[in-house]
Parts: sequence; structure tokens; C-alpha cells
Amino acid sequence: MRARALDPVRFEILHSALLSVTDEMGAVLKRSSYSPIIREMDDYSCALFDAGGRLVAQGDFIPSQLGAISLVVRATLARHRSTLAPGDVFIANSPYVGGAHTPDVNILHPVFRDGALFAWTGTVAHHADFGGPNPGTEGADLNELYAEGLILPPVRLYRRGEPDAELFDLIGANVRDTVATLADLRAQTAACWSGERRLAEVVEDHGAAAVETAFERALDHAERRTRAALAALRDGEGEAEGFLDDDGAAGPPTRIHARLTKRGDRLTVDFSGSAAQVPGALNNPWASTRACVVFLVKVLADPALTSNDGALRPITIVCPEGSVLRPRPPAAVSVRHLTCQRTADTLLRAAGAVWPEKAVASGMVGFFGINAGGTSPRSGRPTAAQDVVGGGTGGHRLGDGLDGVDTYMSNVGLLPVEVAESEYPMRILRSELIAGSGGDGRGRGGLGIRRDYLLLEEWQTVTLYCEQSDPRFVPRGAAGGGDGTPTRFRVFAPDGTEMRLRSQKVTLRLPRGSLVRVESGGGAGWGDPAERPAPLRTADEADGRV
Amino acid sequence: MSGRRTRWLVGVDVGGTFTDVVAIATDGRRLVAKVPSTPDDPAEGFLTGLDELVAAGVEPGDVSLLFHGTTVATNALLTGRTARAVLLATAGFRDVLGHRGGRRPRMYDLEQPRPRELIARRDRLDVRERIAAEGTVLEPLDEAEVGRLLDEVAVRRPEAVAIALLFGYVDDRHERRLEEALLARFPGLPVSRSSAVAREFREYPRTATTALNAVLRPVVGRYLLSAAEAIRGRGVRAALLVMTSSGGSLRAPRAEAEAHRLVLSGPAAGVAGAAAVAVACGVGRAIALDMGGTSVDVCLVEGGRAPMATLQEIEGQPILAPTIEMATAGAGGGSIAWIDAGGSLKVGPQSAGADPGPAAYGRGGREATVTDAHVVVGTLGERTPLAGRLVLDRGAAGEAVGRLAGRLGLSVDATAEGIIAVATAHLARAIRSVSVARGVDPRGCTLVAFGGAGPLHAARLLRELRLPAAIVPLHPGLLSAAGLMAADLRVDEAQTMLRVLEPAALEELVAWFAAARHRIDERLGDDGIASGRRRYLAAADCRYVGQGYELSVPLDGTGAAALRRLAEAFHAIHRTTYGHAAPDEPVEVVTLRLSGSGALPRPAERELAAGSGRPATDALHERRAVLLPGRRTRRPVPAYRRERLRAGDRIPGPAIVEQLDATTVVLAGQEARVDRRGNLLLAEADA
Repeated sequence: MRARALDPVRFEILHSALLSVTDEMGAVLKRSSYSPIIREMDDYSCALFDAGGRLVAQGDFIPSQLGAISLVVRATLARHRSTLAPGDVFIANSPYVGGAHTPDVNILHPVFRDGALFAWTGTVAHHADFGGPNPGTEGADLNELYAEGLILPPVRLYRRGEPDAELFDLIGANVRDTVATLADLRAQTAACWSGERRLAEVVEDHGAAAVETAFERALDHAERRTRAALAALRDGEGEAEGFLDDDGAAGPPTRIHARLTKRGDRLTVDFSGSAAQVPGALNNPWASTRACVVFLVKVLADPALTSNDGALRPITIVCPEGSVLRPRPPAAVSVRHLTCQRTADTLLRAAGAVWPEKAVASGMVGFFGINAGGTSPRSGRPTAAQDVVGGGTGGHRLGDGLDGVDTYMSNVGLLPVEVAESEYPMRILRSELIAGSGGDGRGRGGLGIRRDYLLLEEWQTVTLYCEQSDPRFVPRGAAGGGDGTPTRFRVFAPDGTEMRLRSQKVTLRLPRGSLVRVESGGGAGWGDPAERPAPLRTADEADGRV
Repeated sequence: MSGRRTRWLVGVDVGGTFTDVVAIATDGRRLVAKVPSTPDDPAEGFLTGLDELVAAGVEPGDVSLLFHGTTVATNALLTGRTARAVLLATAGFRDVLGHRGGRRPRMYDLEQPRPRELIARRDRLDVRERIAAEGTVLEPLDEAEVGRLLDEVAVRRPEAVAIALLFGYVDDRHERRLEEALLARFPGLPVSRSSAVAREFREYPRTATTALNAVLRPVVGRYLLSAAEAIRGRGVRAALLVMTSSGGSLRAPRAEAEAHRLVLSGPAAGVAGAAAVAVACGVGRAIALDMGGTSVDVCLVEGGRAPMATLQEIEGQPILAPTIEMATAGAGGGSIAWIDAGGSLKVGPQSAGADPGPAAYGRGGREATVTDAHVVVGTLGERTPLAGRLVLDRGAAGEAVGRLAGRLGLSVDATAEGIIAVATAHLARAIRSVSVARGVDPRGCTLVAFGGAGPLHAARLLRELRLPAAIVPLHPGLLSAAGLMAADLRVDEAQTMLRVLEPAALEELVAWFAAARHRIDERLGDDGIASGRRRYLAAADCRYVGQGYELSVPLDGTGAAALRRLAEAFHAIHRTTYGHAAPDEPVEVVTLRLSGSGALPRPAERELAAGSGRPATDALHERRAVLLPGRRTRRPVPAYRRERLRAGDRIPGPAIVEQLDATTVVLAGQEARVDRRGNLLLAEADA
């Protein structure tokens, strides 16, 4: 059946059915997984691919994984096409075969129909720990990939439906919380299988030919929508630069640069002005850089745009290999999400240069993260506690930014105190908004968060990192609004004295009673502060926000 | 007549647009009324409905129970017209309400509004105290601190106070001390404490639920008081029973204290009505589909019972309370059809609402809606009296659909058919999500289609989802009001325990159930429910040690024997729900739940007179040209009047059955049968 055989009605019905495949996969994964970073913080995505590995449908999951799995599917096809069999399940996390960073583990499942490869279902989830010297696997100071935990190119986790017990053993032996990790891999596999079952029902209802046509049409549809959205914008060019505090190894700041050129229904994103790859783990693998561009298009043009590979067709991304945004192996990548956030902010500011009427004040991109080893007081098993602390988003034409939320490419929740203290050897002493942290303006920036972690186990290994601690790189105001504030953390010894830290990206072994305090940045303001209505100023005062 | 007086059960369902009233007498007489709602003073519409009943012959003194579904809590939440409250939170954590769990509501919208805070930051107070995860007191709450807080509250003169301390679900002693001190100093002030409102873990949803309870109590309390006075003024002395989001009723004086549980009062009544219909028809597994003007609520009903969610998010507001688990789709009769930038035909979630409404209403609506599409294809006729009075404007509907057709390059007919098909796909997706999420195959479920627009789509869903049957109740537009009377009085107890399921823990679990049952019995006793009419439902929310989400496992008892079977039952449910289980892994009990219900008097049933097996000739209202799915041309289809059908009548498809509050479509190859209660049962003829 040719694409023309699907009228707009049947296409819409089939398209909605394909999205229900990824919805149902997401429900299975979230609710049956073990790691809080998956289940409480939603750091996972589920997607459906055509036989050739093109992303056809992806639910609304975390933006930093937008479109990401499709490069892994293609790498798997390139290597294993001739030996694929029904019931096979592949696992892969290598950043250099389409992955993001090693804790993001991809699980892929080829779907067969009448003996031929028909589609793929896939999930990617951030695991609490995937081995390596640091609990939680991440660390800016890890300076080559080999230090970033267990690295898996696409290999079979299940053969024809049977688990590879030896591979499970191998993975289990490399990670800190074996039980949770293996259970999460099973939950990801179950999600892939549920996607396969749902897809089979769709095929049963509509016929295989119509579904294959719908795959094709879904890509065309996203392409058309993207082109229409781009065409509606004025032609123009603009650029912006942004800096990471350092190179991940206590060296100089790292430059991110983006130049946007919009002509007709096409957009070129040129990252050539960005720095070369860096010694620390801030390098952003290609899958993540692509995700940043998809994020830009969704924000700029069409938030409801279905995320699939068609949306990228009208877009050219220029980035030389060896760039911090397209590193060569074995560059380290484990805290690449810091670079993602800075890249997203830089792209949005470049867009603000092209279309000033759309400019939004910058949100915080400090992305404080804590990974702490230790023994769970509840299960008695080794664990890796993880938390990510959001900050303020930028003010805008229509109002104020949001307080204390995760920004841009990420949308993971704050770890609940009552979960943290039940599961990990830690106590959280405060989690409060910081008065005065939001930039002034007609629309004020949202507020940052102050959160204190008291460590309860002797000599816990703790990885701490954040960006945007350098006051030169704070969130920038727009249209006359004031800037936001830096993000930084401090560590206090049990006797209360502040420890001197080499940088804002460290791994430490800390005695019981140590305290980590993070103060995340507020977002920047939008518009002339003199135009802020008096009643809002009064409320700011009364609420202790300024 | 003997000296025995007729008694009436009355249900009043105040919806967004209409207030529906149903009265059923002990002798089986049934009266219904539909009057416009009065959102500014909801009690007014309530009274107008009551007056219509009185005018129709109901003696106010003969009303024995008055059931009520209300949108007063929902509207307060939606409009932000809630009371001003103070929050007392553990020092350092008053902003749990401000950062809302750390996620932004919309991922790709950089200009989204800041969500309204239930309690402003100026009214959120830090309490110096701290309890640890295992319940030990790390920092005691001292009396000087209590005194300071009372003074701070006094300065603010709030309408209510919420108390939500960290780990208050483990140990409530500090919360209780604050409550006691507040009540002593400010008698009559509503005080909500988290350990009473939602004794479950995760501080954000618990604090938010407690805050919601506090800001709704004054609003709900005032409304219920004025409603109670007004109905007494009309001479009705019956107790007022309010429907909650769980599908159970509360006596009005208790409803104020549990105000946050009224947010889904209306939809829950609809599900209760559908569940009663399913039970009466002997259906084990059913899907309740309530399709109105702007949205659709879908719910799975098994054995007459709807699954409960313990946490629901409504308008971005998390609510921790037993709530009927429903899926909502933005595809009602008034949902607008449009074409996206990629050229695809979409339906909803924008709705033309009641005003201007669909183009066919002739009130100035220009956009094509699902209703307009039905007018174009002829399933809704020009002479179909919609909602009793409205006459449909076919020309306007055709123009609205035609504008889309031009842009799609399809005929007007194909576009109208497409709009209905896309809307039906939305319904099918919602039905799938509520059934598959519970490990239930929709192909084994009977559809109960109600609301004004549900019966229009029942036949298509029957075919598309390969359902065994669909039921269209006697009064599809009044099922919510009838459902109010089907509900029991219900009391819920729950507490987060977090205990690994091992023999040593059983004693503690059994003891909790015994204590909870005692508390429930006290309340049911106060409410006049004799012990013989009480029923209990126990459940334990469990997970594998290390997992973060729980599955609720129903228990067949609350003693040690039933609890010993819990782990086994959990493995089975985990396997059904997620497709895998880990029988060797330890299981933990997260939250125990016990609900007690007290049966209330049921309305008498009246049976429909038997017919000849075929509709009487006077039941045929007209034959009109209808475009049916899968066809290119219209064909004449008979349209019957529902009220002239008799029990046992069989109607072969294609056919249309019309009544004041809904229109039912039967497709070719299907058959509709009228059962003795007047329900219309649809099935494929060859099935």
C-alpha cells in the first residue's frame, strides 16, 4: 500500500494508536522499576522505530533523550542485521554507538512479522549506578570513557526470548546495586515486550501494510509540521555564545557557540564555533547534541510536535568531529547533561537574537547533582543515592518564571525527603526557596533552592557537581530584565568548618556528619523592572521573595 | 391505599451546565427534572430542581434520603476561589508547596504561568521540630514554639489552618499537639492535619492534599450549610448525603471535614450509576463511558466496583485520597475539529462548550464539532430534540464541516465521518488505557455508554474494540443523578507502614486492621448503619523491596491467615499488570487500607411492560437518510422513540433510537434489544 492510500483520517487514527504503544510502554517501565531516578524522577523514555531504525513515535518523556535511541537502533542493525531473531533483546549504553552517557542504558527489541523484521521497540533509562569508581557512575573528573563504568556496545541480553544468564551475571558483578539494576533491566525489557504486543494489536486491527504506511507518513507528517512552523518564522540569522565554568578538569571555561540561519522552511544550526573536546567528562555525545536541537525546534516552533526523525529533516546541524558537542572516543561524557543544558540555553539565546520578540530570559542551568554511595537503611544493600536540584526559570512576556524546577532539557523531580531518608543513609535538613535569587524585571525570574544533605554513614563516597557557579555565566536577563544568580554548593566537615574544594565538580570521601549545602540559581528577569506592576511588587515583599 | 406513606429517595446532581434531579418512590414511581445550574449560588439550582419535584407531586416531608453530587469543590479549585489558610510545616520545608516536587508542568513552554499556590508563601510558617524516618524525635516541639506559632496564626486571621510535618505519617505526635493548641486557642477554626487527611508518605503530595483540604473546607462548609438550611426551609427533613470522589457517600456534616474528597463528586456518581447498571445486567467486567459536551470520563468496573487510585492529579494539583480511577479524554460532543500544520485531522481538546456550542446549535458557533459531524451524517436529525428543546441547524453544521473539508481535500461527508472516527479513536484509546493498565483485555468488557453523547458512539466502539456488548441505560443523560442513589455510605482508613512482609511483621499489620475497623465501626454506628449492613474491603499496597510504586492487593480478610497469602497474591498481580514478577524477591507492605461501607435503602425497581418482540408501529418516529461508516451514500434508517419501546423489543441495525437526553446509533449487522429494566443492549447480530 502506498502512502496515498491513507487519508488524513485513517492516518490520524493510526498515528494515535502508535503513540499509545509508547504510552503503554512508559506505564509498564515507570511503575515496575526499582531505581528512584526512574520511578520518582522520570529519567527514561520509550519509543517505536520502523524496521530501518527510524524513530516513528516517542512519548513525551525527558527532552534530553529526544530522538536518542534511534542512533543505537541503527548501530545495532549495522552490526547484527543478518542474525536478528524474534525474541531477541539488545542492551547498549556506549556513547559512541549512539548512546548518551553510560548510566543511560538502552534496551531494544526487534519486532518480527511473518518471519521478517517489521519494527523495533526501545527504551532508555538512567540507572542509579552502572559501575565505575564513583557511586552513580558519574563524575566530571573521570577523564576517559573507560572510567565511566561498564561499557556495552549492542549485545544480546535475551536470545529468542531466553535471558543470557551469563551476561546478567556479568552486569550484576559490575554495578553497586545488583538487584535493582537487574530488575530495572527486566522492567525495560517487559516494556519492550508490552510495546510489541500492543503493536501486534494495531497491526491486527489495521493491517501490516497500513501500519508500515503510517510509519512513513508519521515521519512525513512531522517533517511537514516542522517546515510549516519554520516557514512561519521570519528569515534571519543570529548567534550566541555561552560558557561552561571549566573543562571538567578544573581547567579554563569551555565555549559553546551556536549560529542559527533560518531560510524559508529550513534551519541550519552551526556549532562550529564551539570548543574542541575537553579532558573532563563534559563532552556531549552526538545523540545528545541532536536532542538539544530537537528541543529548540519544539520550544520555538511547535511544542506539540511529535518527536520522530522526520522532524529533523528540514534541519542541518553543522558540527565538526572532535568538538565538545561531537566528541571522538575515548573522550569522557558522564556529566554531559551539564553541557546539554548550557547548549540548550545558548540555542535559545541565539534564537532570541534572530527573533527578539520571542526572547525569554534565561533559566538556571546549574544542574546540581549529588551521587552518594552507602548502605540503604531499609534494604541493607549497597545503593547510590541520587538527587538533582532545580532552580528558577526565566521571566517572560506573560509573567514570572517558575520556582525551583528542573529546566530545559531535563525535567526530573526533586527526590522526596521522605523517600531519601527511608532509603539512603542521609538526612535532608532544608529545602527552601532562596529570597532574592530571581532576576528583577517586569516578569521576574523564578527562585533557586537551598537544600542541605547531612551524611549519616562513615566515609561515604560522594560525587558532587554543578555548573554556572562562575558569576560571569549566570542566567542572562532579556528585554531589560536583571540577571539570575549562580549555582554553587559547599561542603562542611562534621565540626562545621567549611571544606576547601578544588572546584564545583568533585568526588570526595566524607566522614559521617558531613554536610553538603547546595544553593541553586534563580532565573533571569524579563522586561524593564520599572514596569513591574505595583501589586506584584507588594506581593513579592509580603511573600519574602525579594 | 393503606396507611403506609409513599417515601421518596431523591438524587440531585449539580453539574457544570445542568442540575439533574431524579426521584424514586417506594411504589416504583420515578420523576426526573433537568434545570440550569447556577454556578454563582449552586444552592439555588438545587432548590429549583427540588421545587420541580414538589410541583410534580413529591411531598417534601416524604423524602427519606437526599443524595447530592456537587461541583462546589471542583469549581473552587478551578477558579481559585478558595479560602485563605495558613500552613504549618517542618522548619526548612514550608516551600514544599512552592517548588511542587521540582517539575515544571509543561516541558516545552517557556512562557507558562506560575501555578497558583494554594497557600501563599507569607502564610506558610516554619515549625521547629523534626521526626526521623523511623519515628524517633530528633528535635522536640517545645511549648514556646507552639506559643509563637499560635501568635503568628492569630496575626494572619486565616479561615483555616493546615499542618503537614515531615514523617507525620510515621508519628503524628507533633501534628496532634499543634492541632490541639490551635483548637484551644481558636475554637471553631477548621484545622487540617496531614496525619488525618492523608497518612501516606512523600511530603509533596501529602502537604498539597492537606493544604487543599484546608482551603476547601470553609467553601464546602458554607455551601453545605446553606444548602441544608434551604432544603429544610422547603420542608425536607431527610439527611443530606454527599457523593465523594471514591464513589461512596458521606453525611453532609462529615463532608466538610473531607472537602478534598469532593473534587470528583460528579464523575464518581456517573461511575456509580454505570456500576449499578452493570450489576443489574449481570455483567462482570464493564467499561463506564460518560461522554458529555466537553470531555469524556472512562472507567473500568469489575464486579460492580471501580478500581481506586490513591493519588490523582487534578488541574495540576496532586490529591492523595481514594479516588475512582478514570481516564479523561478531551473529546466530547462539543469538541472542535481542526487541521494541524502537518495536514492531519484532529479533534479536541478545545471545545465549543455550551455557549456558543456546536455550529448546529445556531448560537453563533462557526467551528465544526463532533455534534456537527453527527448532524451532517444524519445520526442526529434536524427533528432530533436535543437536550429537550434545541432544534439543530443542519445548514450551519454543513458549512462548518465544509470549511474543513475544503482544506483536507475530502468531501463534506467524508470529513464528517472522519471527525466521528477520530473522536471514536480518542474514546478507544481512553478505554484501552483504563483496561490495559489493569491487565484487563477490553475485548472481555461490556460498555456502559451514557452522558448526552456516549450512546452516539457505543455501536462504533462495540465494533472497533470487538466488545461483547454495549448497554445504553434507560436515561443516559441522568445516570449520574441515579448513580447517587446507588452509592453506599463509605469510610476509608489508610496508613503508610513500609514493612517488609515477613512473619514477624504480621502481628502489627493485623493490629492495624483491627484498630482501623474499630474506628470505622464507630463512624458507621454514629451514622446509623446497623452492624448487619456493614461491609469491609481490605487492601494492602505492596511492592518489591527497592521498587518505588505500589500495586494494591485486595485482601479477603484482615486476619493473619489472609495476610499470609498476601505475598503470593502480590506476585500474581505484578505479573498480570506488568508482565513479569520476581517470586524470590522480598515484598514490602507500603500502605494498608480498609474501607467500610454501610448499605443504604435502595430505590425500588420498576420493570418495563413487555412488548411483542418488535417495536410497535407508533415507536417509529421517522426514516431519515443517514451516512453510515464504511458507506459512500446515505440510506434510509428508521429512527425510533425510546419511550415507546417495550421490554423484549429487538431492533435490527441500522437504526437510531432517540430520546430526550440522548441518541443511540445501531450499526448494520448489529442488534439492539430492550431488557426488562428498559436498558438498550447492543451486540453484533452474528455474535
